Amino acid sequence: MERETETLKEFLTDLVVPHHRCNVNIIPDHITMLHGTKNKKQHSRKRRAHKSSTLTRREYAQLGLNTLPTRQMRYEQALPLHKLWRGYLREHLELREGDEVPQVHEKRYEEFSKQLVKLDLHGAKLRVVQSKCPTLVGLSGICVLDTKNVLKLLGEDHRVRTVPKSECVFGMHVDSLEFIIFGQHLNMRPAERSVKKIKSYVEPFM
Amino acid sequence: MCLTFIAKYSANVFGTRFIYENNHSFMGNNKGKRKALTQRQVCSRMNFLYQASNLMAHSNNNTLAAYYGKLCRNVGTKALMHMSPALKRTLCKRCSLPLLPGVNTSLKLDQKQEQQQAIPVAAATATATSTTSKRRHRRLRSKRNKGHNQTAAAVQKDAAPSASMDEHARLHLECGLCGSKRRFQVDTQNECWPERSEAIVQVIRLDEQKNADAAEGGVEAAGRVEGGGGTAREQ
Repeated sequence: MERETETLKEFLTDLVVPHHRCNVNIIPDHITMLHGTKNKKQHSRKRRAHKSSTLTRREYAQLGLNTLPTRQMRYEQALPLHKLWRGYLREHLELREGDEVPQVHEKRYEEFSKQLVKLDLHGAKLRVVQSKCPTLVGLSGICVLDTKNVLKLLGEDHRVRTVPKSECVFGMHVDSLEFIIFGQHLNMRPAERSVKKIKSYVEPFM
Repeated sequence: MCLTFIAKYSANVFGTRFIYENNHSFMGNNKGKRKALTQRQVCSRMNFLYQASNLMAHSNNNTLAAYYGKLCRNVGTKALMHMSPALKRTLCKRCSLPLLPGVNTSLKLDQKQEQQQAIPVAAATATATSTTSKRRHRRLRSKRNKGHNQTAAAVQKDAAPSASMDEHARLHLECGLCGSKRRFQVDTQNECWPERSEAIVQVIRLDEQKNADAAEGGVEAAGRVEGGGGTAREQ
């Protein structure tokens, strides 16, 4: 603050005719700085807060959060997740004991299938029933990761396998219920799935 | 006592619910109903994801735990639904890993801060200390004093001389995955729920014969003394 008033004084005295300069008397109380040091301080604080709060994509990748090791996870570790998911499924679809999946001609079929698409698949036991790629058929496991185009299934041989969604038809078996899900319906980000509007009709690819 | 507490804790971890407003159910029209339905389903999904992330954190699978935590947060932002703040704060601010001290995070006492404060206490209190954290803390304390005026005053009398060492100690919680820190200040005026008199509904003694001999001290005192052995406190 003081240094800036000094520079201001110098500037003002320079404007005066040289032989009157000695008579110039500037009272420092009369100087009001419009933007002083405060602005700078605010700026720096903002920057610091920003730096600590978020994780950039590069940092995120460096921490290894984008990659899932293929062979580290045991199948037994995912079983409690599956148990938790079963409870969630009951809550989500409002199933009771002895309930059955509605048939196509029934009235509540459409509503039910809409709910089914919005279901979160983490922890579900899935099986590839049908696929364009013959090597994928018959793969099964607990789903641990769900991205826009791909599911990662943890098989019983303790390996994580990547399965593309759009090419496959998945089968899901819960207690007495059997679901068949076309992977095409699932082709969106997992966070968006619970919000996005869903087409009621998708052309089957086979 | 120990058993009941553990059971409570685990129920807390895996049975926590998100607070959500069910305003729409009052409306009779179809649109309101549908909205309430979707809100409920988003809520159950977020609840499931939070529990899954806690589960993965307990089994030391940090990548998946952080992923589920992040997804839980993202679902909330997409569906315009808020997590209850107490739950939100259990997730790491940077990487959304659930912070479990002793499992994947470390809770430490700030040595540096303590030294800095210990030396210039007399000198520095007079000079203006206008950092944001201190200001925030001061405001917080004044609010709390208003709330529990009677109890806090009573506690303060007892605690202030004995626990003056811990009074301004700073703790920090460091996330094991991304290394971000959360800071806390020790507040001796803050009391735990089980310490209050309302928390004790009933004191149950298992071995009555032993207690019958020593019961003259009063039920309350006996419960406290042999608390480790055979008392159960419930909410």
